[in-house]
Amino acid sequence: MEGLVIWLIVTFVKILVILGIVLGVGAYLTLVERKVAAHIQRRPGPMVVGWHGLLQPLADGLKLLTKEDLFPRYGNRFLYNLALVLALVPATLVFAVIPFGPEFEVFGVKVKPILTDVNIGLLLVFALGSMAVFAIALAGWASNSKYALIGSMRKAGIVISYEVVITFAAMGPLILAGTLSTYHIVQSQIEQGLWYVWLQPIAFVVYMFAMLAETGRVPFDIQEAEAELVTGFTVEYGGMKFGLFPLVEWYIEVLSLSAIAVVLFLGGWSPINIPFLGFVDPLFFLGPLSPFIWFILKVSLLFLFVLWLHWTLPRYRIDQITETAWKVMLPLTLLNILLTAILAPILWR
Amino acid sequence: MEYMALLIFFGLMLAIAFVFVFVNTLLGPKSSEALQDYPYECGVPLYDKSAQSTFHQGYYLLGLLLLLFDIEAAFLFPWAVVYRYLGIFGFIEIFLFLLILTYGLLYAWRRGALNWQFEEESL
Repeated sequence: MEGLVIWLIVTFVKILVILGIVLGVGAYLTLVERKVAAHIQRRPGPMVVGWHGLLQPLADGLKLLTKEDLFPRYGNRFLYNLALVLALVPATLVFAVIPFGPEFEVFGVKVKPILTDVNIGLLLVFALGSMAVFAIALAGWASNSKYALIGSMRKAGIVISYEVVITFAAMGPLILAGTLSTYHIVQSQIEQGLWYVWLQPIAFVVYMFAMLAETGRVPFDIQEAEAELVTGFTVEYGGMKFGLFPLVEWYIEVLSLSAIAVVLFLGGWSPINIPFLGFVDPLFFLGPLSPFIWFILKVSLLFLFVLWLHWTLPRYRIDQITETAWKVMLPLTLLNILLTAILAPILWR
Repeated sequence: MEYMALLIFFGLMLAIAFVFVFVNTLLGPKSSEALQDYPYECGVPLYDKSAQSTFHQGYYLLGLLLLLFDIEAAFLFPWAVVYRYLGIFGFIEIFLFLLILTYGLLYAWRRGALNWQFEEESL
């Protein structure tokens, strides 16, 4: 009985932390994005609300909350709202299997900083990732508006193309780790003294491409294409409903996919790696906190990389994007799986 | 027990999602403009009330390709996990599997399924 109570408390604390990340950090990343974008273009960005615009996300949120709830008159109200639920829930559930650090002890209770260490963690990630396409397709379909439909179809086409690619790309690290549990993938990287990016450079690059495409980031943001489609499938959404789609797509999904990239390729919470020799930790003075800092550092570096691309690259056409997925990325990942299958036994010996 | 936590989280997120769905109805103002819920089309009156019949059929083709390859990916997951214990048998097995998969991809490529954006005559 006591064990159950402790389990419940621990679980709720973990859920609160994840909710904080999803809704709090997710909302504040809008400010980070605007600031980074502004400084890349040599302008100050939001400066009015709070010190250097620090309260800007709150102001934006308040504004979105007090907007009128409009619904396009020829649409389907049930599907219109269902799309919203389908966008938010799977994208946040992915965080349940992301390990933030190694196991630690608080008040004599052993806590793993991962909501559930299920043994099919990675399968869950890809299953939930595939759900995103329903939300997008339904959002455009239920709005019954031409811009929304074109945008959602484009995005759905991109997502289903890159869904295949990202799954095949993740297969390489999976072979090396021999487990689907995200926690154990990181642990096996630490035991083998090797970030898998050193053995899987092709898979890593392909994964980054797929991540940009799945989250609708530049250079694959053809579904939004503000110059021609206004905002794509979110045109007919208003208020907080409109706020939620970019939040999920651009921030929550980028965060979760970056975290999965860190878990798969960059050794999770482990410090800097020298291949086959071991780990060097310049942050050793932080003691037990250092793994968490490393994890956050890696994820934020990947996130900043995505932002940097946003203001560097032009946009591709839809057929260029999907054809790259099938003609370049997929053969590359197939080749990578074969190469890994040859290399892996040498690594295990 | 591990999945219980996931279930609790799922329930909570579902509740939050419902809050997001209904929050604007509760907090937002209500006005009654005649055209405020008119589908957005740059201010031009709609030519066709429904947009649902006018999308490119090529997307079906992409959907078919996804079905093919995503299911193959599902077959690869269990293999990748136990590859360590399969040895040379596992390698040959997956080599043949990927060979057939690549053949399928090449077939789709050759038939022009990957150039789905364009009609046949414009190629």
